Amino acid sequence: MTHDAFSKCHPSVNFVFFILAICFGAVFQHPAYIAAGIVSSGTYYVLLNGKKSIKSFLRLLLLFCFISFINPVFNTRGDTVLFKLFSRPYTLEALIYGASIASVFVITMLWFGCWNKVMTGEKITCLFGGVAPALSILLVTVFRMVPEMIRTAKRIVSARLSIGKGGAEKLSERARSGASALGALASLSLEGSVTTGDSMRARGYGTGKRTSFSVYGFRRRDGALMILVAALAAAVIAFAFRGATRAVFLPERYFAPLSGANAAGLAAYCILLLTPTVMHIREVISWNISKSAI
Amino acid sequence: MEHFKISDLSFSYPTSGDAALDGVSLTVNKGEFTVFCGKSGCGKTTLLRHLKTVLTPNGRRRGEILFCGVPLGDVPEAEQAAKIGFVMQDVDDQIVTDKVWHELAFGPESLGWDQKRMRSAVAEMACYFGIQDWFHRDVSTLSGGEKQLLSLASVMVMHPEVLILDEPTSQLDPVAASDFLNTVRKINAELGTTVLISEHRLEDVFPYADRAVVMDGGRITVCDTPQNTGRILFEKGDEMFKAMPAPVRAYYSASGKGESPLTVRDGRAWLENSFPNGAKSVEREVSEYAPGGRTALKMKEVWFRYEKDGKDVLKGVDAEVPEGCFYAVVGGNGAGKSTLLNAVCGKIRPYRGKTEIFGKDIKKYKAGELYDGCVSMLPQDPKYLFVKKTVGAELAEMSRDADKIIRTAELCGITELLDRHPYDLSCGEAQRAAIAKVLLTDPRLVLLDEPTKGMDSAFKESFAELIRSLKERGITVVAVSHDVEFCARYADIVGMFFDGAILTSDTPRRFFGGNSFYTTAANRMSRGIFDGAVTVEDVVENYNANKGLQR
Repeated sequence: MTHDAFSKCHPSVNFVFFILAICFGAVFQHPAYIAAGIVSSGTYYVLLNGKKSIKSFLRLLLLFCFISFINPVFNTRGDTVLFKLFSRPYTLEALIYGASIASVFVITMLWFGCWNKVMTGEKITCLFGGVAPALSILLVTVFRMVPEMIRTAKRIVSARLSIGKGGAEKLSERARSGASALGALASLSLEGSVTTGDSMRARGYGTGKRTSFSVYGFRRRDGALMILVAALAAAVIAFAFRGATRAVFLPERYFAPLSGANAAGLAAYCILLLTPTVMHIREVISWNISKSAI
Repeated sequence: MEHFKISDLSFSYPTSGDAALDGVSLTVNKGEFTVFCGKSGCGKTTLLRHLKTVLTPNGRRRGEILFCGVPLGDVPEAEQAAKIGFVMQDVDDQIVTDKVWHELAFGPESLGWDQKRMRSAVAEMACYFGIQDWFHRDVSTLSGGEKQLLSLASVMVMHPEVLILDEPTSQLDPVAASDFLNTVRKINAELGTTVLISEHRLEDVFPYADRAVVMDGGRITVCDTPQNTGRILFEKGDEMFKAMPAPVRAYYSASGKGESPLTVRDGRAWLENSFPNGAKSVEREVSEYAPGGRTALKMKEVWFRYEKDGKDVLKGVDAEVPEGCFYAVVGGNGAGKSTLLNAVCGKIRPYRGKTEIFGKDIKKYKAGELYDGCVSMLPQDPKYLFVKKTVGAELAEMSRDADKIIRTAELCGITELLDRHPYDLSCGEAQRAAIAKVLLTDPRLVLLDEPTKGMDSAFKESFAELIRSLKERGITVVAVSHDVEFCARYADIVGMFFDGAILTSDTPRRFFGGNSFYTTAANRMSRGIFDGAVTVEDVVENYNANKGLQR
């Protein structure tokens, strides 16, 4: 596992950041904002995933092209006709609009990819633990049950294989054997959950109000980061309401100019999105400095 | 000061008329270490579950249970949750959450402790049990022994006054079981927690216990110190005597009087004091195991690993198993013994080497042919074989021949169980039903994975009987097992699996006679005094012969 400074912050900070980044990414269609979103989410994604990200990038590129090129097929508005397809105009405007939709899609995908790495099940349950302890423990038991069921299923299949069931028989017999195994899985899981229930009640489950143990402490650093994120987000929203992110594609292209106050809005957006990346790089640098000092 | 006082407790389950508990009276004092033993189904679990209200089964009940002088039913549930800790048999299912730290915190969370109190309690327990290194791990990545230790720790985190353990080690291998029982012992000694434990594996707990409670048919038959319990059981000719630790059995069988030794150390002292001038060992004909010629299984230089870049699990296994014998593979935990069985039944494909079954290369068996009247394997846990609603239906799944089903059921002794649900069977009965399923494929080579795990001593004996009758039918049995005592007694050939290969194989007498640690308790006790005594019977025979010489 790679060390990431932002992942080590309190889950609430992670959560708020991702919610903001994903919402903004999905709403803003201004090319400058889109560029900022792609660059920052892409960099952070690479920092978290390393070499594996190349594959995902290729996949996203394919998706980007697909959405971009398919849009003009359905959307024929716009004046600059590039060529005719099935006797319908294929316009430049629609193509650009498609590209912007595709970019929004790619940005959200990238942010969700980062979310997957940062927001582990543990963090999510910790977040809910404070607000809704009952829901949180339900989630936790599901996290426990799913791998357990997969393992039980594997054991049943393996046990049956070794008495010659479920292997290379006729298709009808295999189907029947599979159904039996599935039934066995259901009843074994049911049996197991009775024991789990006993074990829960034996340790006082349901005797009173639950509290929630947290392995994550909310430190001053987390507080400061939270304030920074909130302030930047507020600035971005304020400028957005003033029209800094206005982007119209059809019938005529209009993008809000990036001069004056609008530039400040974009700057706030960039700083907000680059926060995890900057934190990560700063830690790497300071680590290398202290290492070379040894 | 008494902790629990049970007076005249009787109980019967709603579905059956028989009493599961019949007039049980027992007082458990504070700080006492009490061991409950008895055959499966003797009522141990039912009794222990009565000591905590939320776990008490439904049914008809008479009698009274006092906890610290108060009727147990009047003690609030939250108080019971904290004060009476309960660890169950099932290693996987009693764990509720997905992370180690969360499992530790589960009890305190339920009781509504505040953050500060929880943190210190959890940290303290994690250190005491030495689990701080795997504090953040996923529960699913733990071994069986670690899981059971976690269950114990997550109960101890609430600082219970009483710790109740219901066959906690029956699903563990001997090394993990010893570790676990030592931890329980440590808790009792260092924290003064009252311990009530039911166990089949008495060697580890018996010498330490203050009291042994023997149960049979829902009644307490003996309730005394461990020393006296051994004697009383011997004098009564009780079947439970066979479950006693080896030194106890040897001592009384050699007509010892008074208090018996409980540990191997005391057993040695007894033998050394009995023969201060040394002893002569009974000469025994050590014969090569020589059955009728044919080879059932032959492995040559078999290599295997699970992942391309992983470690080799099998590293050049060579083995030869003659037809019609009982071949036992013993060896450490996680050494790859189960992998070896999987290679034999064709579930995994070794990347090098040759496996021949009845003289034919395993690769030449067509799909399905191997399992049709040739090889069949009993998994470690028989419950994974059961898919139907009755035992009868289980057997019918395997064969259409009604006569054959009846014959097999008779052989395995499950004729009366055909209408029962497979999950309602006891551990021993389930094992027998599973064997019946295995046998219905008409195998010539039966593979057993840890067959004696969780079995009580009485059932082990009838299981050995079953293996013997299989051998009489010409069926070859290959088992991997941790159960040294069982292999020493019943196997024809024992092979030692270590570092991915079978290092040595020999008859049990020569194999265990030559080892000094990895051997039976009887052998460790008599080493250097009698040569080659491997079972308790050997020790007794040597003892009596030498006593005869002294006279």
